[in-house]
Amino acid sequence: MLVSTSLLSAEHWAFQPLKPGKEQSIDEFIQKKLAKHGLQASPRADARTLARRASFDLTGLQPERTDVPYEPFVDQLLASPHYGEQWARHWLDVARYSDTKGYVYAREEKNWVHATPYRDWIVRALNEDMPYDRFLLLQIAADQVVPPKSPDLVAMGFLTLGRRFLGVTHDIIDDRIDVVTRGTLGLTVACARCHDHKFDPIPTRDYYALYGVFQSSAEALVPATGAENAELTALVKKNRDLMTKRREEQMARTRSRAADYSKAVTELEKYPEQGFDQIIDEKDLNPFIVHRWKAWVEKHPGVELTEERLKQSDSPAFVPDEHIANIEMYFPTGVTTELWKSQGEVDRFIVKNNAAPTYATVLVDRPLPSTPRVFTRGNPLTKGAEVPRQFLSLFGNQSPFTKGSGRLELAQAIIDPRNPLTARVMVNRIWQHHFGRGLVSTPSDFGKQGSPPSHPELLDWLATEFIRSGWSIKHMHRLIMLSEAYRRTSFPTRSDGLENPSYVPHRLSFEEARDAWLAAAGRLNLRIGGRPEGLFAASNTRRTLYALVDRENVPMVMRTFDFANPDLSIPQRSETTVPQQALFGLNHPFVVQQAKALVQNAAASKSDEAKTRHIYAKLFQRSPTSDELASALAFVQTDTTPVIAASDHSKSWHYGYGAWDESTGRLKTFNPLPHFTGSAWQGDEAWPNEKLGWAQLTAEGGHPGNDRQHAVVRRWIAPADGSYDLRSTLIHEPKVGDGIRAFVSHSRLGKLRSATLLDSKAELSLASIAFQKGDTLDFIVDIGNGLNSDQFLWSAQIIAGSGGDVPSEVWDAQKDFTATPKTTLSSWEQLAQVLMLSNEFMFVD
Amino acid sequence: MPPPLTRRDFLARSGMGMATLGLADLQAAKPHFAPKAKRVIHFFLNGGPSHVDTFDPKPALARYAGKPVPSHRITERKTGAAFPSPFKFQRYGQSGIEVSELFEKTAAHIDDIAVIRSMQAQVPNHEPSLMLMNCGDSIQARPSMGAWLTYGLGSANENLPGFIAMCPGGMPIKSAENWQAAFLPGAFQGTYVDSKHEAVDRLIENIRSPHADTSVQLRQLELLRRINAAHKAERSDPRLEARIQSFELAFRMQMDAADAFDVSQEPEQIRKLYGEGVHARQTLIARRLLERGVRMVQLWHGAGQPWDNHNDIETNHRNLAAQIDQPIAALLHDLKQRGMLEDTLVIWGGEFGRTPTVELAGGKSKLGRDHNHYGFSVWMAGGGIKGGTVHGSTDEFGFAAQDNPTSVHDLHATILHLMGLNHEELTYRYAGRDFRLTDVYGEVITPIVA
Repeated sequence: MLVSTSLLSAEHWAFQPLKPGKEQSIDEFIQKKLAKHGLQASPRADARTLARRASFDLTGLQPERTDVPYEPFVDQLLASPHYGEQWARHWLDVARYSDTKGYVYAREEKNWVHATPYRDWIVRALNEDMPYDRFLLLQIAADQVVPPKSPDLVAMGFLTLGRRFLGVTHDIIDDRIDVVTRGTLGLTVACARCHDHKFDPIPTRDYYALYGVFQSSAEALVPATGAENAELTALVKKNRDLMTKRREEQMARTRSRAADYSKAVTELEKYPEQGFDQIIDEKDLNPFIVHRWKAWVEKHPGVELTEERLKQSDSPAFVPDEHIANIEMYFPTGVTTELWKSQGEVDRFIVKNNAAPTYATVLVDRPLPSTPRVFTRGNPLTKGAEVPRQFLSLFGNQSPFTKGSGRLELAQAIIDPRNPLTARVMVNRIWQHHFGRGLVSTPSDFGKQGSPPSHPELLDWLATEFIRSGWSIKHMHRLIMLSEAYRRTSFPTRSDGLENPSYVPHRLSFEEARDAWLAAAGRLNLRIGGRPEGLFAASNTRRTLYALVDRENVPMVMRTFDFANPDLSIPQRSETTVPQQALFGLNHPFVVQQAKALVQNAAASKSDEAKTRHIYAKLFQRSPTSDELASALAFVQTDTTPVIAASDHSKSWHYGYGAWDESTGRLKTFNPLPHFTGSAWQGDEAWPNEKLGWAQLTAEGGHPGNDRQHAVVRRWIAPADGSYDLRSTLIHEPKVGDGIRAFVSHSRLGKLRSATLLDSKAELSLASIAFQKGDTLDFIVDIGNGLNSDQFLWSAQIIAGSGGDVPSEVWDAQKDFTATPKTTLSSWEQLAQVLMLSNEFMFVD
Repeated sequence: MPPPLTRRDFLARSGMGMATLGLADLQAAKPHFAPKAKRVIHFFLNGGPSHVDTFDPKPALARYAGKPVPSHRITERKTGAAFPSPFKFQRYGQSGIEVSELFEKTAAHIDDIAVIRSMQAQVPNHEPSLMLMNCGDSIQARPSMGAWLTYGLGSANENLPGFIAMCPGGMPIKSAENWQAAFLPGAFQGTYVDSKHEAVDRLIENIRSPHADTSVQLRQLELLRRINAAHKAERSDPRLEARIQSFELAFRMQMDAADAFDVSQEPEQIRKLYGEGVHARQTLIARRLLERGVRMVQLWHGAGQPWDNHNDIETNHRNLAAQIDQPIAALLHDLKQRGMLEDTLVIWGGEFGRTPTVELAGGKSKLGRDHNHYGFSVWMAGGGIKGGTVHGSTDEFGFAAQDNPTSVHDLHATILHLMGLNHEELTYRYAGRDFRLTDVYGEVITPIVA
């Protein structure tokens, strides 16, 4: 018996056996509590609200229709292949999923070979309603319960997709203990790494009992399909041959230095522990082997390490036949690099090649499981007592694991139905993702520091029902979603608090929001599974689940929107509201692209009203009210900001520098300013700069160059023959220095206007100037007698159409300034963007 | 320029409590006691500046030139004999603290500076040491000091990010992990700015609209406000109001950020004070940010690990120091003349120091130095620091801390202390534990506190 029915720490609710109340439905439990507190249940939500709620909850997508009967709709959503995608994301948060390993030395391939298959396996398992006990069993011990090459092997990504921790074993194991114990049991076992758990009955002995399980398991890259690829097979063989050769060389090298190693164990200070990386070569004693040597000698007092003894597989000279990830510290640095590069060829082939068969990074039991020792205060240098590999003592009847590493027994103990935590933790998570808060508000901490359940009997009834149903997650969804509690309106009065669990309006996660924007635009690609793509890659219109998660560089926008940190097991995301989220919505091209597509799709509408209705239907699955309709129509019809084509008028303007020639009334030579910063033309990236000093032109004005050879010139070129009016105002502000000189000069007519300014303003306007196509008008500014505070503002408009053939048209120096049109959005697109950013869009009632 | 609207002003104007902003629920946002410093600027000389060539003179190296030093330790790579500093040291200020010619301009301010000469990290490798210096743990994913500070104190200006990390030309090793929020909410993560750029929209993500100007945005925001107000009228969820406010704040942030990053607004004499080049500019931007209430600015030297001079340290360190000596000195001077030095904490240092012995490649000298975590220097100036102080020492050759060995946890405890936070009380519950920046370690270095 793995788990006894009597538990050690019976006083804490979570460690007691399940005690479901006698009520037989969620509503009975809730009604009982409401009655006790004299509270009224809220009324039922309307059909559209329920449809949106159910659809977002189960699939993360907005419903296509809302006029559907509720119960069949729930079944339809549960049968949708997109159900698995949405609930996979919740699990991936717990599993600290990332497509990459995080920081690795350059020799190692950065992408995990099995991240995509693991993510897709989770989606599939959830869609198939794989019993939760098997779901966990496969993720912890698939290697021991499915045949070789089984596709289920990829499930072990749960253990192996963590960070690399620069190869430090203790930390890799700590990460695995944490993800398993918090992830499945809601127990914070990792707290017991350095000392007995301060609050829960988890001694350090328990931590190291599990440590031994993972220490006795080695990482291995194995095929998870029967399919083969000749090229890959050849790469794998080449890698394997090299490894065999290098292992044998290393073993021989160590044996040949046996006397040196025996001496080295007496001067350990020269040989640092793992985590202190030294670059060593073939001639150096290997610090890792020195420490192994010392451990061996201590364990076998009086035994001589003969040449023969050193060849045995438990000797300190032996290099186990394992994946380089496990044994990289056995080799000189150059060899480790060579072996990682060779492994990288295999990895890259699998990661990059669509034809590559699926591989899984699994754990396999080592032939000689090791008995762990407690590290006093977590320090591997101060080893304490040995402990057997076994399950946590708080479950009682602790007995050592007997099969290999014990990992299978660990998995079995976790999913044993007499273990009350596994089911409680999972039903609580399901509840939490439906209602917005769990019955226990600390979803991965069911210990004494966690929160007690608001409805303990209901929690236990759900857990019992979960196990009784054969650990069916979909059964739990049905139970919850068909309850009255779930179907009530989401606006309880504040005083109801936890007594009245009702739906907390759900703010869309980043993934849900991005998917919904794409869906409303009719651009969401619903293909399931496959390799990740860059979040904002132009071609990426897939669900956000498939955006690349690089744990070393999570896109800032994802962190801003509370995406789960992929280094840590996160059962519940934080929910913050910060201006950076609004800035993304307003300014990032992504939302605007979707707004444009949405308007484009509505273009066929027969009237503005129909167009508005189309947009509302796509975004909110409802018709606009008459007020909303009026407001939207007023917005688009009273548009005072005509779209200015980004190109035409800006092409008429040129930005340069040169010297003013008073004798000709013209510029000597026009030289273009070479560098554009996005908002200014100038000499170079820095401003001022060596090339052209302070010379700069912006939309509003500018700054002349450092001397009179470097006047700045805004040049307009007439697009057609005709008569044009000039209206311009020049301002020099600070009363410092001796001001600026300004000239307006026509290529054929010479100087038209000029002014000298110091802390003053000049109107430099002129009516009816004759131009032939290609004539230029230069707006020239240079310094007074010296360089000091010479910045200026010069607004200028050239108006055509006071006679001649050209229609009335305005060139505006500021508006036409390169790349700064007032807007590139039509009023309809502006409207659509606003609606996409509205609270109604972002919150599900 | 009107003074920037702070969050407090905003909330006062709109009559809102802090709690409505959502994030406020998650932050402590109050010092534990009266702070001596209100803001931090950290010059991060990534790669590891050599202490024996900058702030820790070791004349004994000259006597041992070419000979092994008795205090030799193992480091990442093999090093050989004593390698005397090629740089001249000189006494500065009233305090007479010796500084090398590499930082002669900074040294003019030595009486405002406390040099800790006995810093220690844990291993001689960049990645763990960067994590230790920034996040207090060599290996595990933990929040960075800037994230802890913004969590602990909030921002004094909600229109700007509270924690900004600038690095010209790309990312340092370990990228954004250096300013991560880890288990703290993502909003506390440092905002990365590639200070090589000048246009504000290339400095901060989404800070400027490429598709609508202010007048268009105002029209849109007005519509959004009306739509959201109608939606909220039927509901009682405070998150709705928080989100409405976030758009108002965002609109202001666009203005304020553009303004804060625009060094052209500085008078010419100030720009000349800081000098030429990207480091002068990013230091001046940093001052403008601190002035506006940004809690912490970290200035990285550059992409990768520029100070990692395994080869030809004389040329390389000289070039690197020449890029930042004047800006650092200018900042100290500028803060002082504005009365800001007294409550701004200035930190200078890398992730570790370098060996006093010469690095070898195949037994031959590379005229450079290897990583050294056994002993190195960090200095601090300004808010609450006792200037003209030297704390601790390394051995005769500068290999390892000798007197008052000081851990990175001690340094962090001290920084938090100066910012009005007790490092043992600034905690965040995650995975069943109340985590601290200093884990279970750290003591305030009281001799350098004024």
